Amino acid sequence: MIQGSDLNFRADQPALDVEGLTVTYGKEPALWNADLRLDRGSLAAVVGPNGAGKSTLLKAALGVVPRVSGRVRVLGEDPARRRRLVAYVPQRTSVDWDFPTSVLDVVLMGTYGQLGWFRRPGRKERALALHSLEQMEMADLAGRQIAELSGGQQQRVFLARALVQDAEVYFMDEPFAGVDAVTEQSIASLMGHLAHRGKTILSVHHDLATVPRYFEHAVLLNRAVQAVGTIKEVFHRGNLDRLYGGRVPAGVPDLAPS
Amino acid sequence: MSAPWVDLDPTLVVVAAGTTTVGAVSGALGCFAYLRRQGLVGDVVSHSALLGVVGAFVLVHAITGSASRSLFILVPGALVAGTAALMLARSVSIRTRLNDDASLGVMLSIFFGGGLFLLRWVQRQSPPIAGHTGLEDYIFGMAAAMTRADLWMIFALGGGALVVLFLMWKELKVFTFDPDFARSQGLPSRLLDTLLMGLLVAGVVIGIQTVGVILMIALLVTPAAAARQWTSSLSTMALLAAAFGAVAGAGGALLSASAASLPTGPVVVLLATTIFLLSLLLAPRRGVIARARARRVLRDVPPRAAGGAS
Ligand SMILES: Nc1ncnc2c1ncn2[C@@H]1O[C@H](COP(=O)(O)OP(=O)(O)OP(=O)(O)O)[C@@H](O)[C@H]1O
Ligand SMILES: [Mg+2]
Repeated sequence: MIQGSDLNFRADQPALDVEGLTVTYGKEPALWNADLRLDRGSLAAVVGPNGAGKSTLLKAALGVVPRVSGRVRVLGEDPARRRRLVAYVPQRTSVDWDFPTSVLDVVLMGTYGQLGWFRRPGRKERALALHSLEQMEMADLAGRQIAELSGGQQQRVFLARALVQDAEVYFMDEPFAGVDAVTEQSIASLMGHLAHRGKTILSVHHDLATVPRYFEHAVLLNRAVQAVGTIKEVFHRGNLDRLYGGRVPAGVPDLAPS
Repeated sequence: MSAPWVDLDPTLVVVAAGTTTVGAVSGALGCFAYLRRQGLVGDVVSHSALLGVVGAFVLVHAITGSASRSLFILVPGALVAGTAALMLARSVSIRTRLNDDASLGVMLSIFFGGGLFLLRWVQRQSPPIAGHTGLEDYIFGMAAAMTRADLWMIFALGGGALVVLFLMWKELKVFTFDPDFARSQGLPSRLLDTLLMGLLVAGVVIGIQTVGVILMIALLVTPAAAARQWTSSLSTMALLAAAFGAVAGAGGALLSASAASLPTGPVVVLLATTIFLLSLLLAPRRGVIARARARRVLRDVPPRAAGGAS
């Protein structure tokens, strides 16, 4: 499943380069002429109202949904050639957690890409998966059936699966959804560590109040990309009011004058 | 003293081997249909197969003048009809405002109705088409009609389906659990989707002779649902479902052979349903009894001293 995957990339290539991206499911475009460029090592939040196309942006960058027009480059190549360098944390609610499988099994799915067709995960893959679970403080639940996890534990399992992929670019869809304060902290510090090591993170995030604390960059998205840049540059009340149609509640820190 | 199986009627051996295989294969394949919530898809395939079976019979009779109910003729007919019904349903739901379930339902009615209509037409021909009797058995199943050649057909298709399932296990598993993630890893979702459909169609068409087109869906879904009660591992679930299906298939063949008036298909399905109901009651964690017991244990815990306002 990794045929054509290219592990080489130049260090100066942007992690993600999106130009004029349009994606539609039915008639209405979910993404319209979106432009976006992220350097390697970026720690970026995708922010925007429900239905703004945030998940769609991630899926287009992963090459999971077909694009109508536009161009997507991951580390300088088409997403289809960068599978091995990209990890994906889907929206937690997008799968059926009553599926008959164990925590370790789900994390092992992160090794399937490297294994290729027909080969089964073995001792080495198990060790990698256990190590990722340890990083997410979930090692003692490795044998647990996934139907018996709490929401926060499910989220940790998905993150462990992304970690085991050992990718360069991480696309995460609402990794903080429904987790408690402790888990939130550990996910945030995990992201910080990854970015510190030069990995790139693009994560959908709904809680405006914590965006400046957890992220260095923001992508303001509503069908089209309204602004991209550092938190200081783009994450201020003027932009946010425009993004949400003037309904941003108080309590969002006003970092920069608008 | 001779061992009992030495006295077994060779026809019964063929029939029992056939129904056992059918049960095992549909049990294993049914797990994926069950987890992907595609029971209706299986139902459409099996109901449509009637049109395919009768149509293949009529076509071969028109071309060659001979009437044959060999599975080598009828199974390809069923494959074509089942696949056509699925493809039509898909294009209807893409091109119209009908949702997936509605368009599947429409195709089920059209193809099954068409099958019944064609069957009646065949039965009313004069002079009668020799060898048409027995076609109507595909509605409720007639395992006793199984020949040695039919058995080979069942082995080939069913075995092939199981081999594919085994080889593609981890791909089909991740695709079933988390299709978007599977796609992000570069797995071809269209191909895997088609493959799973193909396996489902293969499982259905080898089973309709035994169980009949109406009840076939029960043999796909019931063993899987029963197995799900006992285990939380997909591979164990598939093995258990295969075992449940095999037991139901073998039991159905033996029971209906011992009591002449018992129809095989319904007996097989009733056995599978019995296994399912027992699983629902008795399974350790998920079973009704285990859960009631767990609740009672919780209720019996003495309330804390400071219980709060009530
Ligand atoms: N599979 C699909 N089929 C049809 N329409 C879809 C599909 N997925 C998303 N859409 C539509 O595309 C638009 C963007 O959806 P998307 O899931 O990308 O939004 P989002 O920003 O992630 O929203 P949320 O904050 O609710 O997760 C929405 O209008 C949605 O209805
Ligand atoms: Mg979303």
